[in-house]
Amino acid sequence: MRLEMGTFPVTDIVFGRATRYDSGRLTVDRDAVLAAVRQDPRIATAELEIAKPGESVRIWPVRDVIEPRVKVEGPGVCYPGICGREIATVGDGRTHRLAGMGVVEVSSVNWHDAGGDFVETYLDMSGHYGEMYPYQKLLNLCLVVEPDSTLNEEVKNYAVHKAALTVVDQLGEAVRALTPPEREIFELTPVDPKLPRVVYIWCVHSPQAMSGSPSAFCTATYGLTQLTPPWYLHPNEILDGALTGPYRTAFAMSWTVANNPLFLDLYRRHGRDWNFLGVISLRTEWTTQTEKQLMANQTAKLAKQLGADGAVVTWDAGGNEFIEVVRSIQACERLGIKTVFLTSEDDATDGAPTMLEPLPEADAIVSTSFFKNVTLAVPEAPAVARVIGLPTKIVRRGSTIGLHGGVDGNALPTAGPLPPPWRYDDHYGFTSLSCIE
Amino acid sequence: MPAPLRVVHYVNQFFGGIGGEDQAHVGVSAREGAVGPGRLLERALGDGARVEATIVCGDNFASEREADASRAIGAELDRLKPDVLVAGPAFGSGRYGLACALACRVAQSRGIAAITAMHPENPGASSARRGIYIVPSGAATTSMQAVLDALAPLARRLGRRETLGPSEVEGYMPRGARRVHDRGQPGYQRALDMLLAKLQGRPYRSEVPYAPPERVAPAPPIADLARARIAMVTTGGLVRKGNPDRQVSANAVRYHRHTVAELESLSPAEWEAYHAGYFNHLVNSNPNYILPLSFLRDLERQGRVGRVHEHIYALPGVSTPVAVSAGHGRGIAADLKAAGVDGALLVAT
Amino acid sequence: MISAIYNFALTTGANRVIRGARIEHVCGDPTLSPEKDYAFGMRIVTTALQTLTIAVPGPTLFDPMASGKEAAHAS
Repeated sequence: MRLEMGTFPVTDIVFGRATRYDSGRLTVDRDAVLAAVRQDPRIATAELEIAKPGESVRIWPVRDVIEPRVKVEGPGVCYPGICGREIATVGDGRTHRLAGMGVVEVSSVNWHDAGGDFVETYLDMSGHYGEMYPYQKLLNLCLVVEPDSTLNEEVKNYAVHKAALTVVDQLGEAVRALTPPEREIFELTPVDPKLPRVVYIWCVHSPQAMSGSPSAFCTATYGLTQLTPPWYLHPNEILDGALTGPYRTAFAMSWTVANNPLFLDLYRRHGRDWNFLGVISLRTEWTTQTEKQLMANQTAKLAKQLGADGAVVTWDAGGNEFIEVVRSIQACERLGIKTVFLTSEDDATDGAPTMLEPLPEADAIVSTSFFKNVTLAVPEAPAVARVIGLPTKIVRRGSTIGLHGGVDGNALPTAGPLPPPWRYDDHYGFTSLSCIE
Repeated sequence: MPAPLRVVHYVNQFFGGIGGEDQAHVGVSAREGAVGPGRLLERALGDGARVEATIVCGDNFASEREADASRAIGAELDRLKPDVLVAGPAFGSGRYGLACALACRVAQSRGIAAITAMHPENPGASSARRGIYIVPSGAATTSMQAVLDALAPLARRLGRRETLGPSEVEGYMPRGARRVHDRGQPGYQRALDMLLAKLQGRPYRSEVPYAPPERVAPAPPIADLARARIAMVTTGGLVRKGNPDRQVSANAVRYHRHTVAELESLSPAEWEAYHAGYFNHLVNSNPNYILPLSFLRDLERQGRVGRVHEHIYALPGVSTPVAVSAGHGRGIAADLKAAGVDGALLVAT
Repeated sequence: MISAIYNFALTTGANRVIRGARIEHVCGDPTLSPEKDYAFGMRIVTTALQTLTIAVPGPTLFDPMASGKEAAHAS
């Protein structure tokens, strides 16, 4: 597979007569883009708004942030499979991307209606809370969208995400035929056989267990979110968005998956520091020990069969998903594959272990600090001048600065000071926050 | 010139020159000055430090009569008022390690700085997670000089009331006092640096040190189930239907006790699951899946179980920190013990 | 302790650990008929109760579905 990635840096976004890109300025034909979104009869209302870095703007509820990418040459479409998109294998040919911006999916639709998972993320374009995330530096084109309220929850999810992808596609058209100012070739070229072979074990939550449905909405692999055995992905497939869609934390967005710095550095240093073999995607939250261990065994086997000497492991969830992740690490180590695990930590009160099942084989851990905003002592986000999205946010009972899981909660004005969401959780190591003792 | 550092050294009956295993029962005594390895300690501590006294205690006495040993050690420390207590090194000796940890805790409770040393797998090392400074040593006494050389500078600084830096910098065992820290380099770069080091056989240090979990002695078995009172506890987030008690669905700050004395089974009309960590609907249809009352009642009727305890305990386990969970466990256990419960089934989701 | 994800109960120090069916239905299986569901749940619960009458040296796993268990019960 050989992919030529053409990058169009976006330095400004404005609304105008036609959707076009010119020397960094992206003009968006608001009416035309919204007309495309409204073609789907499942969409009830849709609006577009722009949020720029430094503005006193808050966006809520944020379901996803997507970087516009479009397939220019080669099979398939970017962000394949999800929301009924073409499933042809991607990763070959040429893809164009609009860098420095995001399409933000803003909607009141919750992930599923089985309970336990709530959309909680809001984004600030300035201030201490906004600074914790990479989105503050992006020019954000926000699609505020609501579906037909009579649809079932699952259909609603796919309808609004499809609407966001429609916006992505519309923007992509603006740069399809242009010459990209920046170009990079991505290929797993043959390398010095003495270089160590490294695989990226990318653990991704499946909503199947929590929702009771194999087709519930979440981060998807070619559109599939269900519990499946480990899946090998060529890194070019990641660049073309084969793994896409949000989970529930601010760092689990389509944008962070496509711009995962750990993944990109692994790829860019291929041939120099190691022989990067690709990605093994492991779905998590199986609900028996046997299934969890089976997935761990098979993930390690797949890595071994690929020839891996080393593996980097990340995950995007909490709770019992940890078990298949740490057991995959254990299984790899037992097969002689040296692992490094990038993860956040739970509370350390009274010297308690900060992960669910510490195993001695997980001996090389990089910590992205405590995952609870409460433990990080993140202060309330300050009041803002303008809100994009809903005027109130329900803050669930349980702690002084916000927590999911209460029976009821206060509906606070979005514009006012707001507690941060429950989890921070830097899944891919974007920031330097960590723990020490 | 500062006043000389006043150090008290704690050792067991062997290092105190009293005797071997046969003298492990001896109680607490104190001698003036350094004894045995205390002389090496004094030398390692350098100018301005004196081992004023050595507290000696038998390993068995310390483990079997902990309260008495604590009291006696405390009394000596009250009398001697040192700047710092150094205990051990205990190396691989388990009872000695536990005794050293005990001595340190007694000192610290009196505001006296304390430090010890032992092998990381010494059972006493789990005390490191309770805020004791422990310098890692080898398992055998052959590493005595090396460990004293590592321990002495830390003992001096603690004695001078200095705050020590993080464990990965100072070299003591991690104490579980983890805090937020900006490492100045993005996590992904640190991960790839660590990967290269590991692949190339260069040293690396995990940012989350491994600590083996604590072990709890198993409760002795019940002699006769047919005469036993059995209770049930669940972390599956069982609540009364409608959640009138307003239990949260995660990060349980409290547990709830419910009476089931009049119930044969948990009915979906009266109970449900409220737990943010798993799909609740199946338990909503049959709450006995996470609190097996229907089964216990059947067995009670058949005479295979003596009595089903009238109280059940429920909380949502998910996202509940270990320390909080331990507190809930202690509370529930105390309740059950006071009520004469012989055994309990804990169902986890 | 009855748990479907029993290994981590063992590695974190629970001494009597009984294998449950699945996280979302620990003592039983709703995909079975009501009678078989109940029988399955009963098997798990009786295994758990039996462990209370056995001395264990440390964290020990008991599998209600293991055939050895059945043989012991029959005798």
